Amino acid sequence: MNDHPRISDFSGSDLDRMIPDESRFTAGVLIEPGKSYGFFTDTTVCIGCKACEVACKEWNNLPADHIGLTGQSFDNTGELSANTWRHVAFVEKSGCGGVRDNSEAPYQSGWLMLSDVCKHCHNAPCLEACPTGAIFRTEFDTVVVQQDICNGCGYCVPACPFGVVAVSENDGKAHKCTLCYDRLKGGLEPACSKACPTDSIQFGELSDLQARAAVRVEQLHGQGVGSAYLYGTPGAPGATGGLEHLNAFFLLTDRPEVYNFPVAPTRASNRVAPSLLSGLLTVAALATAASFILSSRDR
Amino acid sequence: MATMDGRITLVQESRFQLTDEAGVSHLFTLSPWCAAEPAQLRPLAHSQAPVRVTYKAGVDVIGQVAQRIDVQAEAGR
Amino acid sequence: MNEPFVGAPEIAASLKPFAIYDGTTYYGRQQLKPWPFEANVVGGYIFLAGLSGSSQILATVAAATGRRELDGAVRRGRYLSLLAPTIGSALLVYDLHTPKRFYNMLRVAKATSPMSIGTWFLMGFSAFAVASAAGRAGADRWPRQRWMKSLSTAAGVPAALAGSGLCTYTAALLSATSTPIWASAPATLAIRFGSSSIATGAAALALGETDPAARAKLDDVQLCALAVEAVLSAVTKGHHKRAGVEGAYDSLPGRIEQVGATALGVLAPLGLLAATRAMGRRPRAASVAAGILTLLGSATLRSSMLSLGNVSARRPDVSLQFSTPGNLPEVRG
Repeated sequence: MNDHPRISDFSGSDLDRMIPDESRFTAGVLIEPGKSYGFFTDTTVCIGCKACEVACKEWNNLPADHIGLTGQSFDNTGELSANTWRHVAFVEKSGCGGVRDNSEAPYQSGWLMLSDVCKHCHNAPCLEACPTGAIFRTEFDTVVVQQDICNGCGYCVPACPFGVVAVSENDGKAHKCTLCYDRLKGGLEPACSKACPTDSIQFGELSDLQARAAVRVEQLHGQGVGSAYLYGTPGAPGATGGLEHLNAFFLLTDRPEVYNFPVAPTRASNRVAPSLLSGLLTVAALATAASFILSSRDR
Repeated sequence: MATMDGRITLVQESRFQLTDEAGVSHLFTLSPWCAAEPAQLRPLAHSQAPVRVTYKAGVDVIGQVAQRIDVQAEAGR
Repeated sequence: MNEPFVGAPEIAASLKPFAIYDGTTYYGRQQLKPWPFEANVVGGYIFLAGLSGSSQILATVAAATGRRELDGAVRRGRYLSLLAPTIGSALLVYDLHTPKRFYNMLRVAKATSPMSIGTWFLMGFSAFAVASAAGRAGADRWPRQRWMKSLSTAAGVPAALAGSGLCTYTAALLSATSTPIWASAPATLAIRFGSSSIATGAAALALGETDPAARAKLDDVQLCALAVEAVLSAVTKGHHKRAGVEGAYDSLPGRIEQVGATALGVLAPLGLLAATRAMGRRPRAASVAAGILTLLGSATLRSSMLSLGNVSARRPDVSLQFSTPGNLPEVRG
C-alpha cells in the first residue's frame, strides 16, 4: 500500500493505514497527477471562524506570528506571511458610524469575510521570477517553493502582484501556501478546505470548481445578491495582464480593493523584454556616440 | 546559546517539532547557517534518535531557530 | 489616470465596474510586500555593475580608436571593470537570506527572470573582464610580450557586450516586479539606468586622466550621457504621474531621488560640464567636481530608486491605483 509518509507521525490512529484516496469522501474528487486543482472560496458563506488558518498551521507545523491585537475588527492575523498561509479578512460595513443597523441585506452584506490564500496563478510571477528554479509547478498544477533549493534572494516577493509570498527572517527562505502538496500526493484534500465548516473553501479540479462557481453566482443573482461576481476566473478581475486565471479564485460581493485584492494585476515577466531592449539600445547608442567623440581630432 | 534535548516528532520542510524529556513539544525552524539540511530531519524523526538542539529565539514568532543539531548517544538503555 | 476605460471588450465588461479606484483600502494595510533587501547593499551592487560595465565598454571603444592619448583611459577602464566581479558579487551574496546557497543561482537560466539573466551576464562579464584586465597588467609588466595586449583587446569585446547587459539589466530586474514605481516605467527606467551607467564610466575614467585632450573627450561623453539621463528622469516622473503612483515621491527616498540623484547628481554636473565646454576653458577642477557629483548621484539614484519602490509597495493607495484596469498594457497600449 502506498502510505503517506506522515502516517507514522500519528501512531494513535485506530486505522492500521490511511484511507486510500480519502479526498473522494471529503471533497468528492479523485486527486490524480496531471490534472489542475485549486480552491474556490465562496465569501458569501464564510463565517470568519479561522478554522482554515488553524488547520493550515497545524498541518504545516507553522509557528504563530505577529503576536498581538491589531484593532482591525476580528482580524488579528493581519496578512499572509512566511508563517501564515491562510488569512481571514474581516470587513465591517454596517454600524461603522457607531450606530448599529437595525436591518441588513442578506448574505453578509454588512460584514464581509474572506479567507485569503496564495492564488496559484496560471502564469505565476513568483515562479517566473525565481532565479534558482526553487519555485516550480507541481503535477497538480500548483506552485510550490522547494525549501532545499531556495537561497532567500527574495525576488519572488516583489514579483507577486497579490503580496502573498514572503521570506522568513528566521530560516532565510521564501514561503507560501503549497496547496498542501504533501497531502495531495497522499490523496488527501488540503487541510484548510477539509477544515472549513461551511464549505466556503472548496477544493477540487479547476474546471469543476469554475463551473460550480458560475452556477453559484447565477443562484445568488436570482436570490437578489446582484453584486456577486467571480475574481480570478478567465476574463474576470484578478486574472488580467497575462495571468490567464488563478487556481485559487473567489466569489466576492464588493469591490476587490475592499478585500485588499488588486482589480487588474499584471504578469511581471511581460516587462522584461521592453525594459532590457530599451536599456541595451541606450547603451549601444551612447557607445556609438562615445566612439565618435573619442576618435575625433584634438581641438 | 540555549540547548534542548529531545526527539523530533514532526517534520515539515525546514520546520520540526521537538518533544523534550518532559513530553512538551516545541516548534523549531532551521537557521540559514545551520549545517543540517531539511532532508536530514525526516530520517531523524523516523529513527526517533535523541538529539540536542542548539537554538536562538525566533523573531516575531512563537518558536525557536535551530543553529545546530547533534545526535546524542542513547542514554540509560 | 481615472479617465474613462477603453479596452478589449470582453475584458472590459467584467472590469468596467471597477475602472475607477475610489481610494478604498483594507485598514490601510499594505497590499503588496516590499522586496526584503538592504537598499544600500543592492543599490551599491547596481552602481558597481553599471560602473564596471560602462568602463569596459568605454575602454573597448577607446582601444578601437587606436588613439595614443586614450591609452591610459583604456588601462583604467580594464581595471575598473573588476569592481563588479569582486565587490559587486560579494554584495550580492551578502544580501541573500541564505548566502551559503549562492551557487543555486547557477542551476538554471530563465528568460522570464531578470535576476537569472543578470547572473549569467555577470558570469560572462567576469570571465572576460578578468582576462582583459590580466592581459593588460601583463602587457604593462612585460611590454615585449605583445600577445598580452592582443589578449586584453580581444577579451575586451565580449566583455563590453556582456557589460552593456550588466549595466542595464538591473532596470529590468526592478521593472519585472509588481512594485508600482518600478513596474510603471519599464522602458524609461532602463534608459535612465543605461545612461547613468555610461555617465559614471566616463566620469571615473576622466577623474584619473592627466592628459587634457583625453579628459575633454571623456567629459564630452559624460555630458552626452547626462543629457540623456536628465531628459529621461523627467519622462520617468511623467510615466509615474500617468500611472497614478507619484504619491510615493512624498517620502524621504522620493526627496532623496529628486534632490540628491536628479538635481545634484545629474543637473549639477550637466550644467558644470556644459558651461565649461561653452566657455572653451576646461579646468581640471571643474571636471573632477562634475565627475564626483555624477558618481555620487548615480549611486544615490540606485539606492533611492530601490527604497522608493518599496515605499510604493507599502502604500495600498498607490499599489491599488496602479493595478486599476486603465494601467493594463492592453489598455494603455
